[in-house]
Amino acid sequence: MSQDSKLLIPLHVSYVQSLGENKDDLTYHLTAHLRMNAIYWGLTALCVMGHKDALNREEMIDFVMSCWDEEAGAFGAHPDHDAHILATLSAIQILVMQDALDRLDIPRVVKFILSLQQPSGVFAGDAFGEIDTRFTYCAINALSLLGRLSELDVNKTVDYFSKCRNFDGGFGSTIGAESHAAQVWVCVAALAILDRLDIVDQETLAWWLAERQLSNGGLNGRPEKLEDVCYSHWVLSSLAILRKLSWIDSEKLEAFILSAQDSEGGGIADRPGDMVDVFHTVFGVAGLSLLGYPGLVDLDPVYCMPAGVIEDLGLRKDWQALPRRT
Amino acid sequence: MHNVKRQSRSAIEARKAREKSQLDTFLALTDDVLRRKKSQDYSQEAFDVTTRIVRINPEFYTVWNYRRNILIKNVFPSSSPEEIFNLLVSELMLTMQALQAHPKVYWIWNHRRWCLERIPDGPGVPAEHDHEADAQGNDSPAADPAGWRKRCWSEEMRAVEKMLDKDARNFHAWSYRRYVLANSPTSRPLSSELAYTMRKIESNFSNFSAWHQRSKIYSKLWEDASSEEVRKAKETEFELVRNAMYTDPDDQSVWMYHRWLIGPGHDTEILNRESSVIQELLDEQPDSKWCMESLVHYKRLLLKNRRHEGQESSAVPESSLDALVDECLSLLTQLQTVDSARRKRYADIANDIASDRP
Repeated sequence: MSQDSKLLIPLHVSYVQSLGENKDDLTYHLTAHLRMNAIYWGLTALCVMGHKDALNREEMIDFVMSCWDEEAGAFGAHPDHDAHILATLSAIQILVMQDALDRLDIPRVVKFILSLQQPSGVFAGDAFGEIDTRFTYCAINALSLLGRLSELDVNKTVDYFSKCRNFDGGFGSTIGAESHAAQVWVCVAALAILDRLDIVDQETLAWWLAERQLSNGGLNGRPEKLEDVCYSHWVLSSLAILRKLSWIDSEKLEAFILSAQDSEGGGIADRPGDMVDVFHTVFGVAGLSLLGYPGLVDLDPVYCMPAGVIEDLGLRKDWQALPRRT
Repeated sequence: MHNVKRQSRSAIEARKAREKSQLDTFLALTDDVLRRKKSQDYSQEAFDVTTRIVRINPEFYTVWNYRRNILIKNVFPSSSPEEIFNLLVSELMLTMQALQAHPKVYWIWNHRRWCLERIPDGPGVPAEHDHEADAQGNDSPAADPAGWRKRCWSEEMRAVEKMLDKDARNFHAWSYRRYVLANSPTSRPLSSELAYTMRKIESNFSNFSAWHQRSKIYSKLWEDASSEEVRKAKETEFELVRNAMYTDPDDQSVWMYHRWLIGPGHDTEILNRESSVIQELLDEQPDSKWCMESLVHYKRLLLKNRRHEGQESSAVPESSLDALVDECLSLLTQLQTVDSARRKRYADIANDIASDRP
């Protein structure tokens, strides 16, 4: 068995642990605007690999709370950065995974989230008003985790999603935008949370998603584009929600994800031979979990969090992963 | 990180050493800007610090926010419309430079929209003030109060085309293009957008983004068109797609667009005609997955139509339905070999069809 044919869990765990030690690297500081997301990605990857405790819980929670933007009533990506829905969802997901929601001013953050909904039903990312179906997903996921979904105007929200649906069954970032696997996932997962998958043309969409697999096993995000490990999550999670994971070749995809590992330094890249990062690491590991890779913890494809955490909250939806192999 | 080749340990250490002074500068600027922001410093000096930072790191969204707050809270209130206009034009230039280096950074596109939407009235004055201009003996043709806006928005079309020339699939640029088309003060006929998508498709048949845009433009055009106009336009499109299919039968963008043209497939005559076109291509390219895949899809639509007709008139003989079912099943069997990655999908469809057999 070659090194590449199995998941190098201990190496990936130490890779995630080492991410905070790159403070002498310019790239580390140029990505400060993603720090909160990166911690969520790292923690989720660790949870799926069964090493949740590899990062210190207290330090993590303290960092999350240090990113609270008191003026806006939500989280920024880094201390002193402005509040944004992207960082806010990641912060809430971390607090949920670490069972630390008691640290959060829930009414205030709910107020922030609800304030971002536009008359059309879509959500803005922050007070400056950029709109995107990604932000609507963030809002729905966060409200659901906080048990406050009842405060959402569901019809208005669903109406906007349905206007983003294209003839290929997919969804784009806004009305009129081209279908893109990552946007498909946010829309389908959001609709799953709202129990409104009835507005999805499921057969057409599952066809479009299955056609993302290329002959090298990897998945792309749009027709006639290159493969990339992160689509292992966007495409597979969407297929899992539609209960159609068997419509692609899981063995070839698994081999592709494993071939993008860095077998020296740990971590997973977008494709073989490239520089690794935590984003591709979590989405590679997430994909492997859905494919039933032995020894991994189940991932919930709707929330992109450990399935057990979502089950404990009573939020599990009717998705289907491949059976866990031993 | 996308498309960055893995580096060796020593290469990483060498890069760190090279970037040391850049790192120090960036950290000092970051401290400075966040301190000023906290102390609500909306001065020109603070504005200049934000310029330096976004030039180094256009992903630093907090700094873009701060920059806009400086404009809103300090600069705009103390500026004439002309000064505001000039300032926003220089913001548009700054974001264009940033986009050339970072064409997929959401925050830059976002800042650009914000600026564009704030171009003031001018150089003319709005109608209710016109008599003042007359009283001053201004006999030159009245300047258009929306002149600045029109100039900036039409410049946007050129800017976005430049971005799409560099990367014809950049979905940020396509979204921005749709935004400009929808909001520009000078409206542009939909036919010129059709022509643009045609140019993009001609330079690369695989550009699904252009096919997608074309489907959206036609959908809009057809809202107010007669059924004869729609029929004629579709015929031209079928012709175009046919050429593309023959050029590269493996290119899925073309097949997807074809599927859009067929739609729910209520027109049995067109379904039959297009199925025979595809059958001919399949005869030439017997392993063509997309020929088979599409044939199955269209034959299933035919089956649906026939069943529907049959319910109404009982004119459709069972045997013709049976033949269609058999053709689908045979294609699906071949597809499971030709396109084995998706064999389970073909098997599922075969099961569905077989269980529906009359």
